[in-house]
Amino acid sequence: MSLLSVEGLRTHFISRDIDNRVRVAHALNDVSFSIDRGRILGIVGETGAGKSLTAQSVTGLLRPPARVVGGKAVFDGRELTAMSDDELNTVRGAEIAMVVQNPRTSLDPLTRVGDQLVRTHQVHSGGPVATSRQRALEMMEAVGIPDPRSRARAWPHELSGGMAQRILIAMALMNAPKLLIADEPTTGLDVTVQAQILDLLRDLVARLDMATLLITHDLGVVAHFCDEIAVMFAGAIVERGPVREVFRNPAHPYTAGLIAATPERLRSGERSVQFGGPPPDLYNLPKGCHYRPRCPFAGAACHAAPPELETTPGHRALCHFAGAFDRAQEPAE
Amino acid sequence: MRTFRFLLRRALMVIPLLVGVVFITFMLVRVGGLDPVGQLAGPTATEAEFAAIREELGLDQSLFRQFLIYAGNVLQGDFGESWLSNRPVLDDILGRAVISLELLFWGVGLGTLVGIPVGLRAAFRPNGRFDQVSRVLSLLGFSIPTYWLGLVTIFVFFYLLGWAPPAMGRISLLVSPPPTITGSYLIDGLLQANWEAARSAFAQMVLPVLCMAVIAAAPIIKQTRAIALDVLSSDPIRYARATGLPERVVRRMVLRNSGVPILTYVGTEITGLVGTMSLIEYVFAWGGLGQYGLNAISRGDFTAVQGYVLALALFSVIVFLVIDILVYLMEPRSDLT
Repeated sequence: MSLLSVEGLRTHFISRDIDNRVRVAHALNDVSFSIDRGRILGIVGETGAGKSLTAQSVTGLLRPPARVVGGKAVFDGRELTAMSDDELNTVRGAEIAMVVQNPRTSLDPLTRVGDQLVRTHQVHSGGPVATSRQRALEMMEAVGIPDPRSRARAWPHELSGGMAQRILIAMALMNAPKLLIADEPTTGLDVTVQAQILDLLRDLVARLDMATLLITHDLGVVAHFCDEIAVMFAGAIVERGPVREVFRNPAHPYTAGLIAATPERLRSGERSVQFGGPPPDLYNLPKGCHYRPRCPFAGAACHAAPPELETTPGHRALCHFAGAFDRAQEPAE
Repeated sequence: MRTFRFLLRRALMVIPLLVGVVFITFMLVRVGGLDPVGQLAGPTATEAEFAAIREELGLDQSLFRQFLIYAGNVLQGDFGESWLSNRPVLDDILGRAVISLELLFWGVGLGTLVGIPVGLRAAFRPNGRFDQVSRVLSLLGFSIPTYWLGLVTIFVFFYLLGWAPPAMGRISLLVSPPPTITGSYLIDGLLQANWEAARSAFAQMVLPVLCMAVIAAAPIIKQTRAIALDVLSSDPIRYARATGLPERVVRRMVLRNSGVPILTYVGTEITGLVGTMSLIEYVFAWGGLGQYGLNAISRGDFTAVQGYVLALALFSVIVFLVIDILVYLMEPRSDLT
């Protein structure tokens, strides 16, 4: 049984326009995936595909007008999507920890970093404050912060981006979580620091036997860091499977396009799949396959909603022609 | 030491500011079309008498020369005499400052004490019923003309209901004021166990303080709500939620993180409310600095106007300095520079 399994999750932004007509942005449409202990799942996709929104929907961090309208997320046998905020607060930061993308601005600017670590531990695990302090120092040490004792007294604004991200990771580890959600953890950092942070994360995941959900738009990061990959497009996971398998044999034309567009592939002069186009209008998604308007292989069949097909065990794609899109169909014109 | 250097630097920065204030006020009153000479001389005065008064006041000199003389006197602590009352302006201002500060303190204090919690509560449930009611009330407080509010409260609470004493100054005419210690009848009465005076002073104060509070609270509610909403959607709060901090901890964080911007806003508002207060003082015959300034302006009492404006400028400078120091104490990111 998976640690976290998400089934058919749908999240909409429901608002009213100036004429008081209801407008619905179909931000997440049927997102399903699961993740096991000790595994790292990378979610990739372009901006607006719903990567972060998936994490927020799962952890109950959506803010109005966004709302989960269907599906469920089951974590360790409990249904997160049915929990009250108070119940969720006992899970968030304790069993499910988050690392976010703006570490420097995300820490409470008015509290010393050590006290923030202690606060997280006190809120979730309780016990004597001295124990929490000790644990804070240990975790800071574990994430490679030199001289934790003096760093604990630092204010957030005194930290560099990389150091702040380490603090956030230490914060995530404070309550020994089962699942770590890292939402673009290296986006704002220098390339060398990015590598350090990713190495640190991989090391910790292996040592602590956590499941990890890594949200990124960097395929290179997924290739080097993750066990499994889920590719998102227009609020749906269009392809998922083991990283090696997906990179070798992309079953969905969008994944194929993404991989062909990485700098390494472009440089090697491989034939590039036609790619690109505007992001889909979430208020008015195309009928049938949502990727159809951008898909160079789209045919008449694509006007019907695509099934999720399994090409090899554990490797699935949301496409009528999964695994065979470039042979099944000649370009439309 | 660092604090001392900071204070010294701030004090030095104030000097050019005050010079500018003195200069601009001096010139504005003189080119503003007011003519005190006519009032002083009376309706039957001859040309010769006019000229004599003009000469006595120094108004026959060039503007620039007049300014130099005035500036020289100010540097020696001589702010001149009121042309209408012949009393030293400095004495008038010092005597009345306490009276005005008393009203300002209670009014703004009450307005802040009500405004901040109301604004926060509204922000925690945006578009809820509490938010909507408070928004309407705050808009109302914004739009009501000050003098109208004063007159209507007098009409309702004194004339119709008879709950408040007549709006005739700071203490009932039938009660003799307590001997001066601080200058505030309420505090002096309490200090000297003169309960009758204290009670009367308090009763006189209720309506003007309420008016001030209403006018102060309206923008504070609006600003506090906006600031808290901003903080609520800021990265630290979203991250705090993501780490499962319970709502009460999150709210305390919102409160702390809103503190500096709210404080800064209230500071600027206080300096702006001084103008509003003149009208309240006028309506309630409060006899403070605001009323003094209003009188001086309407009657062309140049030295009094200059002294009044300079006092306000100094007041603003002090308020801003206090705010800066408080912000420094509250905010680890600030530096005393």
